[in-house]
Amino acid sequence: MTATTTSPTTTPVRATMRGSDLRFLLLTAIGLAVFPFALHLIGGYAGLATQIVIVSVATIGLNVLLGYAGMLSYGQAMFFGGGGYIAAILLIHTMPNHPNLWLAVLGATLATTVLALLVGAVSVRLYGIYFALLTLAFAQMVFFIVEQGKDLTGGDDGLQSFPVALLALGPWNLDLTTALPALALGPFGNLGDIKLWYVFAAVVLLAVLWFVRALTRSQFGEVLDAIRENEERSVFVGFNAAAYRLAAFAISGALTGLSGSLKALYDGTVAVDSLTIERSGSFVIYAVVGGVQTLFGPVVGTAIIMYLENVLSGVISFWQLIEGLIFVLAIVFLPNGIVGTILKRRRGARALVDAVRVP
Amino acid sequence: MEALSQALLNGLVRGLIYVAIAVGLTIVFGTLRLVNFAHGAFYAIGAYVGLVVAQKLGLVPAFIVAPLAVALFAVALDRLVLRRFYDKEPTAQLLLTFGIALVVEETLRLIFGGTTQQYPMPSWLASASTTIGPIAYPTYQLLFAAGVVVMVLLVWVFFQRTDYGLIVRAGVRDRIMVQLLGGNIRQASTIVFAIGAGLAGLVGAAASPIYSLDPETGFNFLVPSFVVVVVGGLGSFWGAVLGGILIGELQAVTTLLYPPAADVVIYVCMALILVLRPQGLLGESEVIRPT
Repeated sequence: MTATTTSPTTTPVRATMRGSDLRFLLLTAIGLAVFPFALHLIGGYAGLATQIVIVSVATIGLNVLLGYAGMLSYGQAMFFGGGGYIAAILLIHTMPNHPNLWLAVLGATLATTVLALLVGAVSVRLYGIYFALLTLAFAQMVFFIVEQGKDLTGGDDGLQSFPVALLALGPWNLDLTTALPALALGPFGNLGDIKLWYVFAAVVLLAVLWFVRALTRSQFGEVLDAIRENEERSVFVGFNAAAYRLAAFAISGALTGLSGSLKALYDGTVAVDSLTIERSGSFVIYAVVGGVQTLFGPVVGTAIIMYLENVLSGVISFWQLIEGLIFVLAIVFLPNGIVGTILKRRRGARALVDAVRVP
Repeated sequence: MEALSQALLNGLVRGLIYVAIAVGLTIVFGTLRLVNFAHGAFYAIGAYVGLVVAQKLGLVPAFIVAPLAVALFAVALDRLVLRRFYDKEPTAQLLLTFGIALVVEETLRLIFGGTTQQYPMPSWLASASTTIGPIAYPTYQLLFAAGVVVMVLLVWVFFQRTDYGLIVRAGVRDRIMVQLLGGNIRQASTIVFAIGAGLAGLVGAAASPIYSLDPETGFNFLVPSFVVVVVGGLGSFWGAVLGGILIGELQAVTTLLYPPAADVVIYVCMALILVLRPQGLLGESEVIRPT
């Protein structure tokens, strides 16, 4: 740490921030561009990349809560499924003739944010298991209400065949199910069946990553860290911890709702399984395996587990057992997750280098 | 009236299952401060071990082997994995035990398949019913209810009357002091864990002839049992008993009055308790603090 003070040039902080911002956006964009090809190489079907990218957003939403605020929610499905249902209902009932993707997605995100504020208002006063169980209770209530409200939600059948939402961009109305111009890639195979959806989802994920990165580097993020580490102390210093926890819960609900609405529009269907305890648990698994408190951990965890799920489920019937084992092994041996462990190693190596250099 | 008493009896039987599972959850939390999401897995293992034994040897041996097997499994699990997590935050414990529950569930699915299993019952018992006042109720259910009551009382007596029980109860108050005084709290903890798990395993075997059994059954009973423990007060023995009967009856009465709400009413109940009285009906108020 002291090594940095000996650094000969003092570049203006702002300029370096901009530089690192640009580098971050560029590298992430390249990564997202390469991802479907890499996935294709190891046997993932074309649509899987899009699904992983969409679901990652929900896992990032959980990470804001679990990783940065230290609150374990077992009710994320209420936002994920909730976002999906609201987007579908908006499309069916308010714009059957002019299905606008922006309106459906933003409407769903806004609604889940409000839901998160309401649920959070009573939940964030609780901690640990109590908080987890209260979020679970609310998620179960949402599940029940959706399952029973057959007229609006289709009950157990869910909602299908809602209008295909078009993406309004300036003068164009893009249909995201359009296949990209055939991509014949020689040894990489043919990715001609990848849809415009992937590009859109990747841009959304990039924006979300950028947003969360800025969030963790802001004062808000620092206060959240302080509250997670020692809530009592941060309250004494004068921060309204409950308000910060509520804000984190709302952001988490918004991101998860956003993800759920995109998933529903991409699938063209939404069903009650998006509201179950198992669904809530899956985000927890993704985040923990990838690494909470890291920016890319949730994406990596989602990608690995969803890839294994899709590839293994075709080959062996007990992939869920393997998923469970990976989860347990990650908790016991990689408490920082895959990305967290790698970062720690690197940081450790750097500290070692600094220690050698300093004298 | 007849329908109501029928519903109340159904609620009592179901509630007693919750009691038996919740007592294990709550004593393990009270002594080890361990939030055990894998407790439902103990129920499921007991049910499947019981099934195998029942098919070969009959019901009574099943009720002996199942709790012993589950208790052994629990002790092994405790020694191998859980022990490392005693001092970690509750969130980490929750994640770990959730993972273990997943692994157990999927292992059971791998071995026994995902289909619903039928418990073999002696024919005289399968159709026997006992008349209580205006209604005839299956004899097995009544025997089961009586059995759970006896088991719970035995556990209570164990905690009140034995040296282990004394160490455990003292350990709940002040763990370090007990160790300073030479009490072997580790051994006592192991016994508590084995008892809690064995109880869940026994109920798994004994309740499966009444309710259907598939790999998800454990988790399906676990979640309401957590509701029970929260309603009664996490760590409170009699809270688990009161909560179990309350939740069982609440479900049964709701099923009678408005069936679609039967599953959700318990979550509404838990949410109300968590918001209004987070320590539960019979719990002590010190528990709700930032980690």
